[in-house]
Amino acid sequence: MKHSFNIFLLFAKNSMRTTTQGRLGVVVFTIGKIIRFAFLFTLLSFIFSKTRVLKGYSIQQAALFYMIFNLIDTISQILFREVYRFRSLVVNGSLDTILLKPYHPFLRILVGGVDILDVILLVPYIAITIIIASGIVPIGHNIFLFFVLLINAIWIATSFHILVLALGILTTEVDHTILIYRDLTSLGRFPMAIYQEPIRTIFTFIIPIGIMTSFPSQALLGMLSWDKFLISFILSSILFIVAMTTWNFALKQYQSWGG
Amino acid sequence: MITVKNITKVYKSHIRQNNLFKDMFFRQFKEQTAVKNVSFSIGPNELVGFIGPNGAGKTTTLKMLAGILYPSSGSLSVLNQNPFEKKRGFLKQIAFIMGQRNQLIWDLPALDTFDLQRAIYEIDELKYKKTRSHLLAILQCESLMNKPVKTLSLGERMKMEFIAGLLHTPKLVFLDEPTIGLDIFSQEAIREFIKEYQETYKSTVILTSHYLEDVKKLAKRLIIIHKGTIMYDGSLKNIIEQYSTEKRIKIKLNETVSEAKIKTIGNPLMYIYPQLIFSVKRSELPEKIKQISQSLPFSDLTVEDASIEEVIKTFFSENKKK
Repeated sequence: MKHSFNIFLLFAKNSMRTTTQGRLGVVVFTIGKIIRFAFLFTLLSFIFSKTRVLKGYSIQQAALFYMIFNLIDTISQILFREVYRFRSLVVNGSLDTILLKPYHPFLRILVGGVDILDVILLVPYIAITIIIASGIVPIGHNIFLFFVLLINAIWIATSFHILVLALGILTTEVDHTILIYRDLTSLGRFPMAIYQEPIRTIFTFIIPIGIMTSFPSQALLGMLSWDKFLISFILSSILFIVAMTTWNFALKQYQSWGG
Repeated sequence: MITVKNITKVYKSHIRQNNLFKDMFFRQFKEQTAVKNVSFSIGPNELVGFIGPNGAGKTTTLKMLAGILYPSSGSLSVLNQNPFEKKRGFLKQIAFIMGQRNQLIWDLPALDTFDLQRAIYEIDELKYKKTRSHLLAILQCESLMNKPVKTLSLGERMKMEFIAGLLHTPKLVFLDEPTIGLDIFSQEAIREFIKEYQETYKSTVILTSHYLEDVKKLAKRLIIIHKGTIMYDGSLKNIIEQYSTEKRIKIKLNETVSEAKIKTIGNPLMYIYPQLIFSVKRSELPEKIKQISQSLPFSDLTVEDASIEEVIKTFFSENKKK
């Protein structure tokens, strides 16, 4: 475990050093992040100014859903950035050299591109989330449940990204798969209650986007029942098993292209 | 060290039917056998040359031995383990260096990759520094490790690649076309390096190369693979003796000699004064040397085998006839 953590930190350090090699890149990247944050802030202000209630949720509650979605989405993007670069590793055969290293390949192909500079972006997100939550979230065990479900959400995101990697090996296609994943998760920007059946059930329990993005907010607001809380772990475990089985199957099918 | 029994690898690929509907819903596949019932064993401290034409199955075999590819059938044991399980202890004892692959961090100096390798393979700090200095000294490239990899030439990068791959002094080294694309000086440097590395660290090395000079200079044992099947497994010396039916007599003349006089001995392969070369059958060699000694004025005479390329060519053409 210590060995894996050391390697993870070294990959993160090298990723940051690679980013900072080009000063122009750092400037453009930082401006991009500021613009992204400004857009988010403007959108929130717009929603607050135009609407008061959203399908039974107050506008503050809907804003909390939105911010927590952004938090989960940003954490997954920070952690799993390397997945976006996976296709080239498969196509040019560099995956071979990774598979032969004495560490789990996920350390490199899943979480090997964490840029510590990105973590700074989380600070304003967390600050706004706390400001929004402070007026509407009751203080109690719901905060603990929220953090447990937040970890569960990252676990679900991990399983989705492992599936993307496995499909990358089987089909040499990553870009479209990751776009589908991002489109699906974006459904979780707002409470699942705003969608009609059967979409709501499908995207909550079959493709557990709702569990990933909405359940932590519902728990924080004290709106999540215990049975749903337990079901969320069963479903995330099933998804993880499916992802790992697909990954192991893909490794057996790997043809090591480009050599 | 390595025991391979009847391994086969079949690749499945999609056949285009020029019909989008059929390609989507009624896909047809063809199976291509890259390696067919291959068996051999390799002992410790051997340096084995693995050769064959493009698509013969060399790299596929190596990748199965390293655990990258899963064999379709057969069994193999490498360092007493099943390589595909990719156990940490196993992976720490092997290295796979590929001429067409790059594991160095492109934007950073090679030293950063070396440090990363140290952490990955958990190499003791003192041992790491000692091995790094030694490998850098053999390749005479101490000054390169602080330059960003992207600024290095192909030959320089390959040297760094070798150092990064061998810092953990593995017991078993797979080299897949390590000299591909390099100029003759870099090729020579890499060959010398492999030789010295293997002698110093007593590793088992399996080498594939299209440059037969690599194999000739480094390997004592040769495995020839063609269309996924092993056609020869034995010493390099034996194959040269068996398939080199002709010998080259190279002569350095003292003075010019008329072509008519030269033709009394035989048709020369080349004659550009002072160099004269005859290609003669092995059985006729003593007689020809006697004739040359009696009739030609020369200052130097050497007898050589046919080039390894010619030997292999003869090997393939004779096996084709069979």
